[in-house]
Amino acid sequence: MNLTPIVNKTNSQVSVFWKSLRRNPMGLVGLAMLIAILAVAVFAPLIAPVHTAEITSKDIYNAPNSTHWLGTDDAGNDVLANFILGSRVSLIVGFFAAFISIVIGGLIGIIAGFYGGRVENTLMRITDIMLVIPDLPLMVVIIALTKPSLFNIIFVIGIFGWTTTARVVRSQTLAVKSRKFVLRARAIGAGNMHIIRHHILPLVLPILVVQAVLTVSSAILNESTLSFLGLGDPTAPSWGQMLNFAFSRGAMSTGAWWALVVPGFGIVWVVLGLTLFGQGLEQVLNPRLDTHHLMPGRPVVQSETAQLPSSEKILLDVRNLSINYINDDKAPARAVENVSFTLKEGELIGLVGESGCGKTTLMLALLRLLPAAGQIVNGKVFFNGKDLTALNEDEINAVRWKEISIVFQGAMNALNPVRTVGDQIAEAIIKHMPGFPHDLRLQERVVELLELVGIAADHKDHYPHQYSGGMRQRAMIAMALACNPQVIIADEPTTALDVMIQAQILELLDSLRKKLGLAIIFVTHDLGVVAEMCDHVLVMYGGVTAEYADVDTIYNEARHPYTQELLKAFPDLTKPKKKLSSIPGYPPRLDALPAGCRFAPRCPRVYARCHTEQPILYKLSDNHIASCHLLEASK
Amino acid sequence: MSKDHFLEIRGLKKYFDADRPSLRFASREMRHVHAVDGVDLSLQHSEVIALVGESGCGKSTLALLLMGLEESTAGTISFEGRDITHLKEHERKGLRRKIQMVFQDPYESLNPTQNIEEIINEPLLVHGIGKNKQDRDQRVKKALEDSGLKPADVYLQRFPHELSGGQRQRVVIAAALVLEPEILLADEPVSMLDVSIRAEIINLLAELRITRKIAVIFITHDLGSVGFFADRVAVMYLGRIVEIGTMLEVLEKPQHPYTKALLSVIPVPNPRLRRERIILQGETPNPIDVPTGCRFHPRCPVAMWTCKASDPPFTTLSKTHQAACLLLVK
Amino acid sequence: MTPPLQHGTFPLQRWRMLLKRFGWALFTILFVVVLNFFLFRVLPGDPARQGIRDPRLTPETIQAIRVRFGLDKPIINCFESLNPVKVGSCGVNPLDTQFFIYVKNLLKGDLGQSFYYNRPVKDILGERLWNTILLIGAGQILAILIGVVFGLFAAWKARTAIDYAALISGLVAWSLPTFWLAIILLFWGTNHGLPIGGKATPGMSSYPFMQQMGDLLQHLFLPTLAYTIIYMGEYMLIMRSSLLDVLAEDYILAAKAKGLSAFQILKDHALKNSMLPLVTLIAINLGFTVGGAVQIETVFSWPGLGGAIFEAVGRKDYPLLQGGFLLIAISVILANFIADLTYSYLDPRVQAD
Repeated sequence: MNLTPIVNKTNSQVSVFWKSLRRNPMGLVGLAMLIAILAVAVFAPLIAPVHTAEITSKDIYNAPNSTHWLGTDDAGNDVLANFILGSRVSLIVGFFAAFISIVIGGLIGIIAGFYGGRVENTLMRITDIMLVIPDLPLMVVIIALTKPSLFNIIFVIGIFGWTTTARVVRSQTLAVKSRKFVLRARAIGAGNMHIIRHHILPLVLPILVVQAVLTVSSAILNESTLSFLGLGDPTAPSWGQMLNFAFSRGAMSTGAWWALVVPGFGIVWVVLGLTLFGQGLEQVLNPRLDTHHLMPGRPVVQSETAQLPSSEKILLDVRNLSINYINDDKAPARAVENVSFTLKEGELIGLVGESGCGKTTLMLALLRLLPAAGQIVNGKVFFNGKDLTALNEDEINAVRWKEISIVFQGAMNALNPVRTVGDQIAEAIIKHMPGFPHDLRLQERVVELLELVGIAADHKDHYPHQYSGGMRQRAMIAMALACNPQVIIADEPTTALDVMIQAQILELLDSLRKKLGLAIIFVTHDLGVVAEMCDHVLVMYGGVTAEYADVDTIYNEARHPYTQELLKAFPDLTKPKKKLSSIPGYPPRLDALPAGCRFAPRCPRVYARCHTEQPILYKLSDNHIASCHLLEASK
Repeated sequence: MSKDHFLEIRGLKKYFDADRPSLRFASREMRHVHAVDGVDLSLQHSEVIALVGESGCGKSTLALLLMGLEESTAGTISFEGRDITHLKEHERKGLRRKIQMVFQDPYESLNPTQNIEEIINEPLLVHGIGKNKQDRDQRVKKALEDSGLKPADVYLQRFPHELSGGQRQRVVIAAALVLEPEILLADEPVSMLDVSIRAEIINLLAELRITRKIAVIFITHDLGSVGFFADRVAVMYLGRIVEIGTMLEVLEKPQHPYTKALLSVIPVPNPRLRRERIILQGETPNPIDVPTGCRFHPRCPVAMWTCKASDPPFTTLSKTHQAACLLLVK
Repeated sequence: MTPPLQHGTFPLQRWRMLLKRFGWALFTILFVVVLNFFLFRVLPGDPARQGIRDPRLTPETIQAIRVRFGLDKPIINCFESLNPVKVGSCGVNPLDTQFFIYVKNLLKGDLGQSFYYNRPVKDILGERLWNTILLIGAGQILAILIGVVFGLFAAWKARTAIDYAALISGLVAWSLPTFWLAIILLFWGTNHGLPIGGKATPGMSSYPFMQQMGDLLQHLFLPTLAYTIIYMGEYMLIMRSSLLDVLAEDYILAAKAKGLSAFQILKDHALKNSMLPLVTLIAINLGFTVGGAVQIETVFSWPGLGGAIFEAVGRKDYPLLQGGFLLIAISVILANFIADLTYSYLDPRVQAD
């Protein structure tokens, strides 16, 4: 195996790791605490104060003073000196016992997770038994029946401390094993050992490291507990033993708090240091989103005032809406810029763009559902003449679902797994129709809604996991219809569904629109899907409007190069032999937008100006706008 | 066996146990998921065959059977005249060089801790290919560039998370190409990608069959995407092939009602061309309780009463075109 | 391949699962019984030899005791003794071995005679079991309640001062050695007029009931406080992180889009879901929490099972130690079984197996 790239790799990974650890105060504090106590333990014989004076009965339980900085204990010994020397015992037991636990737990976890079947069953049953058996009483029994020596203590703590590690490692191994790259490695012809070494271990290792840190801390706690219970090695006094002596030999009654506080402080210091470091490591190695949907949103900012909507027939009027994602470290990402469109009653508008072009952000902003980092930085959303961007939380809550509802992309994730589907539909009705009777009528209404979307009544009390993918999407639609809204936002409702189910859902939405007079905003990345049912199409690219026109114009007289290229990339069934044309390159990242036109790097008709200047929106006809410098002349 | 047919599948079946053995004390017979239920298919040198069907039709299981990643229940697979149905792993190793696979999800099929060079070098190491490091480096670079990642040096030291979906899928393809396979199984290679990216991956696969003479089995649920480069199209339903023919035969003169329905619902980016769509109701039945007779009859818009009773045989419509429907039996 | 849908088989699956879990609990108990027997015979501190090592005993008395405790019989079938391993004649009636006598006695509820108290172990432990259940019960309930509420607030107000304060205090509480916290609390309590230990003030039994209860609460206060602080931290941390995960889920966004208020979302959509990992943790933790009880009972001289074990170690009272361990283990296994069932009740996705 050639070593160079691996060294490079670890270097880069280590440096990335360091960078994120540096920004993790918890991990850093923990690390500093550990380094401090390790230094104390290593240099213990050098720094521990030495008192050669003979000990007399007057030296017992002396309060802290200038000779004995932390006082003396029941035998007249210096507490500070014992504390420093005791750190060695605690740390040695902690590290060696944890080593035993990690080796056993890691092996069991990986073997069980990787090989599965009987092996896994047996190993995990053993682990379960070990978990259920109370470990401290068992350790007490075993050490009481053997000789309390340092070796025995390490061994006993180590042999009982692996269960958590085994469980964690097993579930991580299972998760890694089920990932496609392991299947791909098998397809390449790699054997089990190769797969474990190159694909399982590297991904299990981070978790094993975190687990090791936490195991050390619990081993140290266990050691101190056993010592406190009088089961420590008498030749190697640890902090636990100091506490044992102090507690059982009158420190309480003499009020010698120093003899009790100091050793305990040592244990807390090490364990807290390890815990903080472990948590910090965990956060660095396994970063999670630190935002959630209940965090307060950012206030709406308006930089210009727009006039009130003119036409009466317009239901939803989005004007110059701009949305940024605020990032503490970097400049804000301009996710949506200056997008306008209108929606009339009963109209179906298609919002088309590649993933990451800001479509979902735009839709969430309409109902002010942006994640915590998202902020409306300009623009208005008029709904029936009312500006949604100016409403407070209670006012917008009254609009949500009652007037405008959403069919989310992944119905599996948008349905609460522990509540029945019927219950979740009823919830919306209860919320928005306070007069609605909470009895049989409500249940009838739920059944009626389910039947409207083609789900039989007996599925009402089933949970989402008992539904198939297509049924979940239907249930999501039924839920969206629950309060008779005027507008439905369908956010990629058919992505990830099979073609036939996709066709069923599209047909359902179209028929509901006609039957109930709904206005629908249909978000999709697939131009083909919307062609057959939309009235208008808004094509977005990199957060801006590329082109906006009625459906016929978009498909037959597109003026923006992006729309044109996108249409060419489509397989045309009427000309099956035709080679597909593709758009080279990839959509821009919102945090690294090009300076000029956002499509310039991929555009086949790009010229110098495109790289420096962002095109404005050109109005080509009453119903057709596009943003491309090429259109300036044709205006 | 004709010499041309270098991959031959005969009567291939794969049943999974539907009940866990531990739950059988309520005693009834073990039920099976009929994932692949009798498939015949042959593939010629540098031929592209598209395997089309909805999820649950068994197309992905078929791919895993061909790769030897699942053990078949019955039937045979032979490659270059040699029966490869039940090979031991060590016997299969040489074969793996010749049959490679590209998976659906490019985000999941690359190990995030390996860089691109390691990923593409790995198959070489596993098979002990290449005289020395230099030789292997050259092979790695060639595979990358053949997959459209040029210049290769730019990508070697990068990690998968630094690449876009389309680039990742190219890396997966490169890792398969580096073994110089004769057959490439592509399991929904574009379904996770944006439309604008799909075309270039399909174009890449089409190029490979010309430049490298690779036969491709292209598995997809989207009949629309197979047009331009498939030689033949096989439509699967519930573990069986229901229609097979050349691309033009299937796309332009579909005979099986299921194929017709699938074709009719493909979105066409042209609003002036609003066609009559045949939307099948319900969903694919679960492959445990396979319907009697023609397995498509419960959803078939033109089903007759006889369809319930008899399983339709293949009707030969032309030298290359066959379909299994009672309406075609004269 | 996605698993096929199965409607209407839910109750049957529930029963099967119940049976299976119960069988499993029984098996674990059996394992503990066996372990408990052999542990005391394999490890060097053989209770038989320890208990009758008193030099004042004559050889005849020793033999009499051996016969009385059945120690003259082989351990099990072929083995005279396991430490040191001594193989005897294998023709022994298997039912006439120490192991089967032990099992037979267990089934009769006979845990042997305490060396120290010279009373049946069963009686001693019987009194003490309830004290431990009282302590652990009160402590667990408080720890869970406080942990859940604080964890909920911390996650809801993520990345605010409330969250950081909760996080830090949770981590600190998690790092405290149980016995040390107990000592510190005892130290503080004795200086503030709280009882120094035990379960009741001597002579209390002649007082009226209400006063007795008040006295009990006073004695229970500090041990429960120690227990609560120790386990609250972990529950809070788990609740916080699991709620953070839940609140980032799409179905929370969907609930928000439905116009539900933050309170309604927390109550109806987040709480139950985020409690699931907590229930698992509580089940897993039961074995550990008993360890905490041993320490707290020791420090506060609380007359519970944990304290009994500690005392038995000091007094080399092996029958009591053996019985105590067995009782604790069985209680934990049963409690774990109940927690398992609770989980399957809370999460509809849990199927048989």
